[in-house]
Amino acid sequence: MAQVEIRNIHKGFKSGAVLSDISLTAETGEIVVVFGPSGAGKTVLLRLIAGVEEPDEGAIFLQGRDVADAPPEARGLGMAFQNFALFPHMSAYDNIASALTARERSPAIIKAKVDNVAKLLKISHVMQHAPRELSNGQKQRTALARALVADPRILLLDDPLRNVDAKLRYEMRLELPSLLKASGSTVLYVTQDYKEAMALGDKIAVLLEGGFVQIATPTEVYRAPATLGVARLFGDPTINVIPAEPSLRDGRSVFDLGGVSLSLPARYAAVAGKSCMLGIRPESIIVEEAPSAESFPVEVVAITPLNEKSVLLLRTYDGREILAAEAGVEQSSRRIGAACARLDADAVLVFDAASGRRIAPVQS
Amino acid sequence: MSDIVLSIDNVDKIYQRRGKSPVHAVKSLDMAVEKGEIVALLGSSGCGKTSTLRMIAGFEDVSNGAIHLAGRRIEHLPPAKRNVAMAFEGYSLYPPLTVRDNIAFALKSSNLHSAEVVRAVADVAALVEIDAILDRYPSSISGGQQQRASLARALVRRADLYLLDEPMGQLEPQLRAVLRGRLKSLLADRRMTSIFVTHDQTEANALADRIAVMEGGVLQQFANQKELKERPANLFVATFIGEPPMNVFDADVASADHVCFTIANGPKLDFAASEIPEAVRNAIGGRKQVVVGVRPHSVKIGGGRHEARVVSNQWLGDQSHLAMDVAGKLMVAVSHAPVPAKAGETLRYQINLSSLHLFDVASGAALSHGLEAA
Amino acid sequence: MEHTSRLERIIRIVLVALILIFFLFPIFWIFLMSFQTNEDILRIPPSPFFTPTISNYQALITGKLVSAAGTLDIPFMRNLWNSVLLSSVSVVIALILGVPAAYAFARFKFRLGEDIAFTLLSFRFAPPLLVLLPLSLYFQEIGLTDTYAGLIWVYQLIALPLILWIVRGYFEDISPDIEYAYRIGGHSWWRTFTRIAVPLAGPGIAAAGLLAFIFCWNNFVFALILASADKQPVTVGSLAFVTASGIQYGQIAAAIVLSVTPTLAIALYAQRYLVEGLSLGAVKG
Repeated sequence: MAQVEIRNIHKGFKSGAVLSDISLTAETGEIVVVFGPSGAGKTVLLRLIAGVEEPDEGAIFLQGRDVADAPPEARGLGMAFQNFALFPHMSAYDNIASALTARERSPAIIKAKVDNVAKLLKISHVMQHAPRELSNGQKQRTALARALVADPRILLLDDPLRNVDAKLRYEMRLELPSLLKASGSTVLYVTQDYKEAMALGDKIAVLLEGGFVQIATPTEVYRAPATLGVARLFGDPTINVIPAEPSLRDGRSVFDLGGVSLSLPARYAAVAGKSCMLGIRPESIIVEEAPSAESFPVEVVAITPLNEKSVLLLRTYDGREILAAEAGVEQSSRRIGAACARLDADAVLVFDAASGRRIAPVQS
Repeated sequence: MSDIVLSIDNVDKIYQRRGKSPVHAVKSLDMAVEKGEIVALLGSSGCGKTSTLRMIAGFEDVSNGAIHLAGRRIEHLPPAKRNVAMAFEGYSLYPPLTVRDNIAFALKSSNLHSAEVVRAVADVAALVEIDAILDRYPSSISGGQQQRASLARALVRRADLYLLDEPMGQLEPQLRAVLRGRLKSLLADRRMTSIFVTHDQTEANALADRIAVMEGGVLQQFANQKELKERPANLFVATFIGEPPMNVFDADVASADHVCFTIANGPKLDFAASEIPEAVRNAIGGRKQVVVGVRPHSVKIGGGRHEARVVSNQWLGDQSHLAMDVAGKLMVAVSHAPVPAKAGETLRYQINLSSLHLFDVASGAALSHGLEAA
Repeated sequence: MEHTSRLERIIRIVLVALILIFFLFPIFWIFLMSFQTNEDILRIPPSPFFTPTISNYQALITGKLVSAAGTLDIPFMRNLWNSVLLSSVSVVIALILGVPAAYAFARFKFRLGEDIAFTLLSFRFAPPLLVLLPLSLYFQEIGLTDTYAGLIWVYQLIALPLILWIVRGYFEDISPDIEYAYRIGGHSWWRTFTRIAVPLAGPGIAAAGLLAFIFCWNNFVFALILASADKQPVTVGSLAFVTASGIQYGQIAAAIVLSVTPTLAIALYAQRYLVEGLSLGAVKG
């Protein structure tokens, strides 16, 4: 039985439709990441599930039960908010305990549960502090503890790491999966950071312009994005997009890049003659000093290091800018100026220019 | 010799607060920036980087010390007389002017012909991709567009120094990488000396020739990216720079014919004394304890002498981040290929001497980096 | 920018001093007058040197006003008590009605919500005299003239809009997420209102209550028309000092000092909340 099932939800506000025809299921213990750019309607979706907003159409089932008439307090959820939403007039302890006091009368049980979750999240030492005395990281952990303390079957996490600094966010990203798995809850996790989505999700539901464009495992979303829009959201630096209309030569699709004809592997043959967008990940572009077969001349315009990678801004001879990312290449060996580049043609993604849907490779 | 454009000599900034103790926001800062150099002031909030930028721009008095720009002493001059261009974090476009007029406004005081102004505006607008919205008003464009317009307004000027406050913080992620490349290329081509403030080390690494890492009002290290990564001056820089940051552990040192770093409840890193250069052994000296550090990219996984339980294994499309439980802390290893390990499994790993950083326990000062003394 | 010259500082000090003198001097003068006899007050030229007397206060407290024309009864203490009663009961009722209403206006978007809220505020725009004539006729019809209940009812015109608009701004300032978090934790709507919303809006509610109290206290014209002497507050009661044999400046001054003291004390005590509450309401409301 699916813990969370959303069927054909519509939700609009005065300014227009936010969600249209949304469906999603999450199984027991699964972490489903709802990913999309800001304004895509992710938070609205969580609020619909939590019951603080009502859908215009469609139904929400939690543990098999239609919750249309259930107020938020009767849905048995845990939720953590982007802005933490701690109660400023209560201590960290009372904040966490507030998720228990409505149902649990025994102070001993409440104390035991709060102490337990505080220990798990390493905030036992700040339990008597007011929220304003907590660091951002402690606030975030307190908010998480409040969501977890009642052992909810369903946990809604609304971009909980958004407002903590990069270092803490990274640490939490490493710790969260085991924490969430241990809780056994079904988790709906909202984020707009693709790395967080890939790191945490058993599956990722990509929300774009009010609808799910793709619901798949992280690897699938990255390697075989359903649309160009999805491809552009995953990856740092962003995927290169090159409009092309490949022609067929010797049974292969051939397109022009920087004045050189490049051919795609045989399985791309079907895209010939169509108006396409080629999506090429920066790490699939290899920059070399010397020309080779199927390499095209470029000018290295700028080198911008990115962690252990170097990102190269290249300009082809017809003025097109493309990004290449290379790992493990000594940065100082790269020079601004003329060079050659070639493609890892197997990794090219081809999208239909009009609809943006991926048309090749068909299955990866 | 090098051509110094900006020099900051022993500058202090002390904020007097009524009824409270004063805040020493910037402490004896010494910095020299060369012609055409791109410098990042990097640090977390409250580290003094913004105070420094504002003192250079003239929005903040200097409590102590001197600032020279292009051969002139400027710390007593009003902002308008310093010949400095600045892009503000809060965009700060003039609301009643179109984006085009906002940018052109910056050129008003220069003696350019109107045709030249038009061309300069068009060039810079194309660079930051706001050509399509030049005739719109600031209130009708997005935050990212406002930030790009604000950047354009600073870049279009001819100034001795360009100050950019979090220039790309609000930018659309899809544009960021390309804009970084273009901006870097523009600054380099025109030899525009620039200083930008950021809390995002990715930004600093991508754009800057040299990075000034600040913390607690003190300049911790001022060096290029490679140097910061390979030879961090102290524990703060080591754990601040790098994504993910350096793994650090307290270790007991025993040196005889073997030098052995023992991490409590963790691995024993054992090296033959002959492997370790004399300079490094001297740097360790008689210490019984040191802090050992290793970068996540230098932890070799899938073989080696040590074992640890995998806490999480996260594949991000182009790299794997592996967290392992070492001595009760998380040790992170990064590889650019997928690693077939699941949470809960035990994995072998290796830390080589050449990638080991040693720090003094008390001061945090670096002792050695790999095979070289600090 | 922190470039302030010595001249700027001197000018600033002088200006502040001028403003303080302008506003505080009348209060100071009234205070002095309350310890003077009418003869001292009317002396020309006026002098700050006099023999202080507490006869004015004595007259007020005992209720016997001795003037050249004879002894006159003045119910000043009764007026003071009326002021306290009318103002505090009005504010309590306005809070009971206004705080939930303010919450509703802040949180729930309903049809005509904005219009209703604005209509309530517009009661403050209308000059009181505009409503007084019809009101006094109604009140005579339904027997509310010269009753506490009637006055308290009319005072809602002063207190309710004020509380509604200030407190509404405060409620709007509380992130809805905080309330959602409490409800998702299993608590009912009403508990969320009483345990989260009201405590968090506390300073705003206190500020609004105080301000409403002061406005009610200072009201003059409602009670003048709608009540007779034994129900009137101090503001109206002070009229009694305009006697046939002249104006009793000393007693008026003492009455003012006595009647201002409670509100001034409360206002000073709660100054912090007042300023904070009002400015928040102004920004958000």
